[in-house]
Amino acid sequence: MRGGAGLNWGMSLAPGQEKVASTAEPVHRGITRRQALAAALATGVGVGAVRLLGGSMQSLAKPKAGTAMDWVSPLGSESARVMQLLRRTSFGYTPAQLDAALSDGFNKTVDRLIETNPVEPAAFAAATTPGGRFAVGQLQQWWLDQMIRTTTPFAESMTLFWHGHFTSDYRKVADDTFMYWQNLTWRRMSMTNLRSMLMQVTTDPAMLRYLDLATSTGQSPNENYSRELMELFTMGPGNYTETDVRESAKALAGWVLPQPDSTATVTVATGVTRQLPVYSTQRPGIFNTRRAFKGSVTYLGKTGPLDTQGVVDRILAQPATAQFIATKVAEHFVAAQPGAGYVKTLADAFRRSNYDMKTLMRAMFTSPEFNSAQSYRTLVKSPADFMVHAARALGATNLSTLIAGAGSGMGQSLFDPPDVGGWPNNESWISSNTVVERVNFVTSALAQIKTPLPSATEAAHQQLDSVLSSQTASLLNQAADDRARWFITLASPEFQLK
Amino acid sequence: MTREIGINQLKRRDFLKAGLVFGAGAAGLAAGYAAVPDAFARAVYAAKREGMTNDNVLVMIQLAGGNDGLRTVVPLADPSLHDLRPKLSGPMVSQALPLNSQFGLNHNLGQLKGLWDRGKVAIVQGVGYPNPTFSHFESIRIWETGDPTRRQVDGWLGKTLATAYDSNGHPLTGCACGATDVPGALRDLQATMTVIQNQKTFGFSGGSAVEAAVGALYKGTPGIYGALFDTAIATATETMATLRTSAASYQPMADYSDKVQLVYSSKNQLAAALQLAAELIVTGTGVKLLHVTLGGFDTHYTELNRHDDLMGYLDSAVGAFYQDLAAHGMADKVLIATWSEFGRRPKENASGGTDHGAAAPLILIGDPVKGGLYGDSPSLTSLDATGNLKYAVDFRSVYQEILGGHLGADSSKILGATFDSVPFLKAPVSSSV
Repeated sequence: MRGGAGLNWGMSLAPGQEKVASTAEPVHRGITRRQALAAALATGVGVGAVRLLGGSMQSLAKPKAGTAMDWVSPLGSESARVMQLLRRTSFGYTPAQLDAALSDGFNKTVDRLIETNPVEPAAFAAATTPGGRFAVGQLQQWWLDQMIRTTTPFAESMTLFWHGHFTSDYRKVADDTFMYWQNLTWRRMSMTNLRSMLMQVTTDPAMLRYLDLATSTGQSPNENYSRELMELFTMGPGNYTETDVRESAKALAGWVLPQPDSTATVTVATGVTRQLPVYSTQRPGIFNTRRAFKGSVTYLGKTGPLDTQGVVDRILAQPATAQFIATKVAEHFVAAQPGAGYVKTLADAFRRSNYDMKTLMRAMFTSPEFNSAQSYRTLVKSPADFMVHAARALGATNLSTLIAGAGSGMGQSLFDPPDVGGWPNNESWISSNTVVERVNFVTSALAQIKTPLPSATEAAHQQLDSVLSSQTASLLNQAADDRARWFITLASPEFQLK
Repeated sequence: MTREIGINQLKRRDFLKAGLVFGAGAAGLAAGYAAVPDAFARAVYAAKREGMTNDNVLVMIQLAGGNDGLRTVVPLADPSLHDLRPKLSGPMVSQALPLNSQFGLNHNLGQLKGLWDRGKVAIVQGVGYPNPTFSHFESIRIWETGDPTRRQVDGWLGKTLATAYDSNGHPLTGCACGATDVPGALRDLQATMTVIQNQKTFGFSGGSAVEAAVGALYKGTPGIYGALFDTAIATATETMATLRTSAASYQPMADYSDKVQLVYSSKNQLAAALQLAAELIVTGTGVKLLHVTLGGFDTHYTELNRHDDLMGYLDSAVGAFYQDLAAHGMADKVLIATWSEFGRRPKENASGGTDHGAAAPLILIGDPVKGGLYGDSPSLTSLDATGNLKYAVDFRSVYQEILGGHLGADSSKILGATFDSVPFLKAPVSSSV
C-alpha cells in the first residue's frame, strides 16, 4: 500500500473493520438514501448518536458503537455555542481567535461581530492595469489571503454571502478591476442598509456589465438586470409580473460605465495594440439622461415617472422583499429549511428597522433557533468556508494559492459563480467529485505545510465539538501522529458541516 | 421484462475483472484495436439490463442560459424576421445551411448538417410548455423535473434511474460528465449516480492509503447529510476503479480538441465532457444516462458572434462524439439530445442581443433517430402577449419518446401522464402511449 503524502497511519485499519477493497466491490446498501434521510429526520436529535464528552484524546479511546442516525447537539454548553457561531460566521477560527471568543462568551462575541467595522484588505496593486487585464487567480488569492489573515473574518463571510447573492462573474464582466471594485464595495456595504445597498449594486460597474444594464436604453430596454433585481436580489419569483419586468427595464435604463481617467496603449497580441481604459480610483457607473426612458411607467401597481431610486423604493415597499432576504440569510446562517414563522419574525424585524442589516443579523444570531439542537450540523460548509477554516485551524497563512486553485473541483471558484443565481448550498456541495476534491485539498494542504503542525490533541474538541461518528473517533484513535490526526479531523464529514 | 441466460447471470465484478484482464491484453493491439472492445462493451451492455428491455444509452446536452432557437434552426423565408431582428438577422439567413426551402441550420453547425444529410438528425420545432416562465431557474427546474406546475423535486432522469435501473451499487448507471454537482435532471435521492468533472484528475491524490482511510471514515455517518456523504465517497471509490480500467482500454477515434475560440469563455468543457462520455460508453462501464452542459447561451448582448461561436463549439464537440461512437461500433445505441430552458425573444434588444423567450427547437442526434423535422415552427407574426413564440410541442412529448421509445422505460410512471406522440425514433423499443 502506498503511503499517501507522507501520512503515517500506523496500522491503517483496525481488525474487524471493513477494508476498502482495491477492486471494485459493488456497494450494496440496505437502505436507500431517501430512507436514510427520512429516518434521520424522523428520529430527531439525540437518538443513538455518538457523543463524546470532554476534549482529551483519552475520552476518544472507547467510542460508543453507533447505530447513530443524528448528531447529538452540544449546544447546551456556551463554548459549543461560541464555536458554532464562529464556524457559521467567521470561517472558523485560529486557536487565538477561539480563545478570545470563548473568554468573551456568546453575547459579547455577537456584539463584536455586528459592531466591528470591516478591516479593509491591503490594496491590490494589479487593479490599476489598463483595461483591468490581469489573471483572475491573482484576485482570488488576494481575497483568500484576506479571509485567512483578517482580524474581521465576519466581514469576509458577509462579503462572500453578498458575492453569491448580488453575483457577477469575471468572464462576462471581462474587466478584473471592476470585479475587484465590486469586492471592495460589497465588503463596505455588507452590514449597512438594503436601500443604499441596492443603489450601489445597481450602479456597480461589474454589475452594469454582468447584467447588461450598461447597454440598455429607454428606447430599447434590456430586461436582464430588471428581471434579476426582482427575482434574485429582492423579491423572489411570483411577486411581480412580466409587465413589471418590462416597465422597470425602462425605468432603470440610462446607466453607463464610468469614465476612465486616461487610456493606455497596450499590446494585446503580437503586433496588435489596443487603447484600454485606466482608472486611478474606484468609481460607480454614471447616469446618462439621453439614454433614459422619458415618460411614465406602470410598475408594481403604480403609474408615473420613475427613476432608479424610485424602483428601489417600490421594491422595498413590497413585503416580499424582507421575507426573501430573511429567508436567504436564515438558510445561509441558521438552517437548511428555516421555519416559516421564524423567517417571518426576522423579516418583520428587518422591515421595521427600515432594512438595517445589523438589526437583521443580530436578530438572527440571538434567536433561540440559531442555537437549537435541531439546526446543529444542518449546514454544509461551502468550499471556500471549508478550505479557509482548515487553513486557520492549522495556523497556515500561505495556502491561498492552493485554495484558489482547488475551489473549482469542489464547485466554487471565487468571482466565477455557476450562473446569475450564485452558488447553490448544502446538499449541492456533496457529490462524488466534490467530496474527493475536499479530501485531496486536505492531503495537499498538509503536504504544503513544512513547519511542524500544531498539536492535534485538541482538534477533535476544538474543531469537531467532540461530537464524532464512531468511524471518525475510531480512526482518530488509530492515527499515529498529529499529521494523521489533522488529516482525519479536516477530511471528516463532521468538519464539512457547520 | 426479459432476462437472458448466460452473460446476464454474471455479476458486475466479474465484468470488472474481465475488463482488467482485457485491458491488459488490449494494450498490445494497435490498428484492429477498436473492434474487440466493441464486442466487450456490447456484451456488458447486454448484461446490464437491470429490469430494462434494451441496452440503449441517452446523452443529454444542456445548452444553459436559453438557446436562441431562431439562430439555431433559422426560418429562411419569413419576411418578419428582418423586422424583428434588423441587426441579428442578415447573415444568419444568407449563410444558413438549408434543410429545405423553409429552414436552415446555423452556418456553424456543419457537422450536424452532415449528419442531417445522412438521416441522423431529428429536429422538433416549437418545443415549450403552457404559461412559460422567463426565469432561468424556474424554467430549468421545469425542464429538469418535467413538471410545469413546479411541484416535483426529483429530476426526470433521476426518476428514471430510480424506477427503471438498479443504480444501487452501479453508480455509473447515471453520470454527469464535466460537472462538479449533480445536475437537477439527474437528482433523485433514491438514485445513485456519479459526477466527474475531469477524468484525468478524478482520484485520491494521496493514493490507496488515503482511499482506504476515507472509505473507513465515510461510513455510517449520522445526520441529514450522512447518507449523501457516504454515498458520494462509496460512489467515487468504485468509479475510480472503473475508470482505471476504462481509461486503459479506451482509444479516442475522433479529434476532440476545441477548434473554436469562444468570445465569452465557457467554463464547461463540452468536448472533454463528451470524450469522457464516449469512454464510459465504449468501454462497457454500464452507463445509461449521461448529462453534460455547455453554458453561455444567455445572449442578452452582442449575440451575433457569441452565439455563432457557441454553435460552432457545440458542432465540433458533438461531431467528434458521434464519430467516436460510430468508430467504436456503438452509435446505434446512443441517442444524443439537446435541451435548453427556453428560447429567446424574437425581437432583438438595444444591446445587440435578445431577452428571455419561450418555444425553441430541440435537436436529437444519432443512429436511433428517424431524421427530419417534427413539430411546428411557431409563427413570427402571431406572438403571445409577452412577444414570444407560442409552443407547438410539449417538451414532455419529447421526454416520453426518449423514455419509452429509446430507453424502454415506463414514461407515464416517470412523467406522471401521457403526452402527444412525436415519432422521431426509427424503431421505438416500446410504446407506453
